[in-house]
Parts: sequence; C-alpha cells; structure tokens
Amino acid sequence: MLKRCVLSDLKGKFMEVDLFQQGVDLMLFGMGTVFTFLILLVGALTLMSWVITRFFPDPVQPEVAVQMAPVSAVEPRIQAVIQAAIDKHRGK
Amino acid sequence: MEQILKLWTESGLAQVDAGTVVMMAVGLTLLFLAIRKGFEPLLLVPIGFGTILVNIPGAGFEAAPIYDAMGHMESPGGLMYYIYNVGIASGMFPLIIFMGVGAMTDFGPLLANPKTLLLGAAAQVGIFVTVMGAVGLSSLGILDFSIRDAASIGIIGGADGPTAIFVASKLSPDLLGAVAVAAYSYMALVPIIQPPIMRALTSEAERKIEMVQLRPVSIREKIVFPMLLLGLVAMLLPSAAPLLGMFCFGNLMRECGVVDRLSDTTQNALINIVTIFLGLAVGSKMSADKFLNWETLGILALGALAFCIGTAAGVLMAKLMNRFSDTPINPLIGSAGVSAVPMAARVSNKVGLEANPQNFLLMHAMGPNVAGVIGSAVAAGVMISMVSGF
Repeated sequence: MLKRCVLSDLKGKFMEVDLFQQGVDLMLFGMGTVFTFLILLVGALTLMSWVITRFFPDPVQPEVAVQMAPVSAVEPRIQAVIQAAIDKHRGK
Repeated sequence: MEQILKLWTESGLAQVDAGTVVMMAVGLTLLFLAIRKGFEPLLLVPIGFGTILVNIPGAGFEAAPIYDAMGHMESPGGLMYYIYNVGIASGMFPLIIFMGVGAMTDFGPLLANPKTLLLGAAAQVGIFVTVMGAVGLSSLGILDFSIRDAASIGIIGGADGPTAIFVASKLSPDLLGAVAVAAYSYMALVPIIQPPIMRALTSEAERKIEMVQLRPVSIREKIVFPMLLLGLVAMLLPSAAPLLGMFCFGNLMRECGVVDRLSDTTQNALINIVTIFLGLAVGSKMSADKFLNWETLGILALGALAFCIGTAAGVLMAKLMNRFSDTPINPLIGSAGVSAVPMAARVSNKVGLEANPQNFLLMHAMGPNVAGVIGSAVAAGVMISMVSGF
C-alpha cells in the first residue's frame, strides 16, 4: 500500500517534470523556428528585391511633358462669363 | 393548471442558476466595454451578445442535434452549435479572416526594410515565455494546465485574434472563450499597456532617433512577395500553411490588381460577415462551467504578461539592431512587432512624437507590425505541430 502510494507520488512528480520539459522544448524549438524562418525570409526578400530592381524594374513611365502654365481652376465658360462681366463693368 | 406549471418549469426564471446569471453579467460587461469604452467593438459586441444568448436557460442555442436509434433526427439542435462546428471547430472562420487581413495588408514598408522582420520575430518571445509561465503554474500545482492549454494561452501574446482562435480551437477548445476574450481585450489595451514599457526601456535620446525615408517598392516586388512567402512556408513549415496560405492568397488578390472586385469583397463584405459569426461562436463557448474557474483568471493574467514580455523583447531587439545597423533604427518601432495591426504601430508613432514632434515613425513601425503577423502565424504553426500529439 505504502509502496503504491510512493509510486503514484513518484509518477506524479515525473509527470510534472515531463510537462515542464515539454514546455522548455516548446520554447526552444518554437523560438528557434520563428527566428530561423524569419531570418531566411529576410534573406529571400533581400535577394528578391535585388533581382527585381536589377533585372525587372518597373517599366519607366514616359516623362509627361510638364505643363508649366498654371492650370486655371476656373472653367473656360465661367471665365468667359466673368470676363464679360468685368468688361461690362469697366465699359460703364 | 398543469399547463401553467409546465410553462413555469420551462420559463427562464425557474431554470436560472447562479452560474448563468454571472455569465450573463460577463456578457453585459463585454457589451459595456465594447459600446462605452470602444474596446474592439467589432468583436466584443458579437462575443458579448453570444455569451448572453448561450446562457439563456432552456433556449438550447448550444444543443447538439439528437438522432434516434434509426438515425432519424429527433431535434435539430441549436444555432450556436452549428455556427461553432461549421466555423470554428473546422478552423474556417479564422482562416477566412486571415485572408481578409492579407487583403488589407500593405507589405510595402516591410519590403523596403526586410530587417524589421527580426523585430516581428523577437516580439514572439512573449508567446513562449508565457507557455513556460503556464507550465510553471501547472507544475507548482497552482492551476491545472496541460501542454496544449499552455500553448493556447501563450498564443495570446501573438496579439492576433484569428491566430489565437485558430490555435485554441485546435488545441484546447474548452479554453477558447477565455483565450479569445483575453486576446481581443488586450489588443484593445495596447495603447495603455505598451507605452510605459517602451519608455522604461529606452532613453530620451533613443526615442528621438529619426529614421531614413523608406525606398519606394515596385509593384512586381509586391506581387512576388506572397508567392515567395508561400513557397518558404510550404517547404519549411507546412503546419503554418493554412494560416499563411490564406494570408498570402488575400495579399496576392490585393496586389495583383486584376481582381479588385474579389479583393474588395474579401476585405470588406466577407470579413464583416465572418466576424459576426466568429464572435457569436466564441460567445457560445462562454458557458459557466468553462469560464467561471481559477484557470480563466490565470489565462487573463498570463495573457497580460505575454503582451508585456513581447513588447519588451521587441524594443530590446530594436536597440540591439540599432547598435549594429548602418542606418539608425528607433527602438520604439520594436514594440510594434507584437502584431495588433495597426494599433501597435500607431502607439510607436505616438510615443515617438512625444519625444520629437518632427519624428513620424508610423510607416517604419508598419514593417515590424506586419512582420509580427507572420511571426505569430509561424509560432502558431510550430506549436500546433509540436503539441497536437499530446
């Protein structure tokens, strides 16, 4: 009876240690995998960006002739109306 | 008279017990936090309401269908039963949400500065330290968590709702309610939890560091990126492929530019519909026997710890990188590595502006922020593949 108690107690202890060990394993393997994966991804991304900017750049947009003249914000029709009004005013 | 008695025994008042009353109060509290305090309302309103619905005595929202010996259906079961099993037990809802998140995510800042992926990796330290915390509490005999439970609790530190729900539903469905509530509540609390830790770990001079402008990223890089990520996942870590595969699919739809209609549906209508059902289904796991125990308190405490450690690890990693990098790195962007997109990046920006009003860190912090999403999905994959045997 006593022996069985001790045994089950030992088994209990063993289970706890086992759980703790599992936790440690999970932490080490988990962090290891996360870091390894993301470091590989950094390498892959750097390589990919280099290849693409070096060999397959985006087609360069043909430079649109920059319109230097200030673009009137006023519609031509409205502008004509305003001009007519000014002329009329001045012509008074 | 007999009928009146029958009606009385079926009424809510006759069947109510203390547990359901407390759970309804929990549901109301969640609704209060969502509506009045603005805590992740998109999730907490459905979760809170689902909690109330599922605790109505005798309404049978969670009841399973009953078949007789011949296989004929005697009762069809309740709404929540179906929503939970179709959407969460199968893993479908979190994955669809992840697709939507992929369609909403711009990887430009990450592609412009791939080093920031390391910050997303460092912030996942919180997940694994919390696993150790849960295992430790269990070993000391204070609370009773299995290794599967510990993994589900740790993933709260990933600060990523769908990932947490995905892992918890696979590893320990009984804890799903508590884990999801903790994950979403702490995500809402990011602007309160993070700044003190960030200020404690950095000097005034470090917070003032200005970073160089990010280079423009070409469309082609953005289109190749999801395929590259998917390829790496497929080769190295297939257990993370459900999450990251859907994420890459969503992102490809966004960036390829020829399926704007699909991309639009994925990031708006579809994700909204799924969010409603996801919230209700999480609420359906909030029953008194699963939620009202010391383990829930332990989960809430460990979840907060996970957030704090993740934040600290990210900031420390950024300090380390600043020392060895040829371009300056402001340590404040490290805290954004805990995902919680885009809240954590906004917090980095805000704390940076306090130190230096000319210093806009938002775009720099978006890199580690989306890296954190990848990092927590990878961590989820590792945990599912390592733990599901036990």
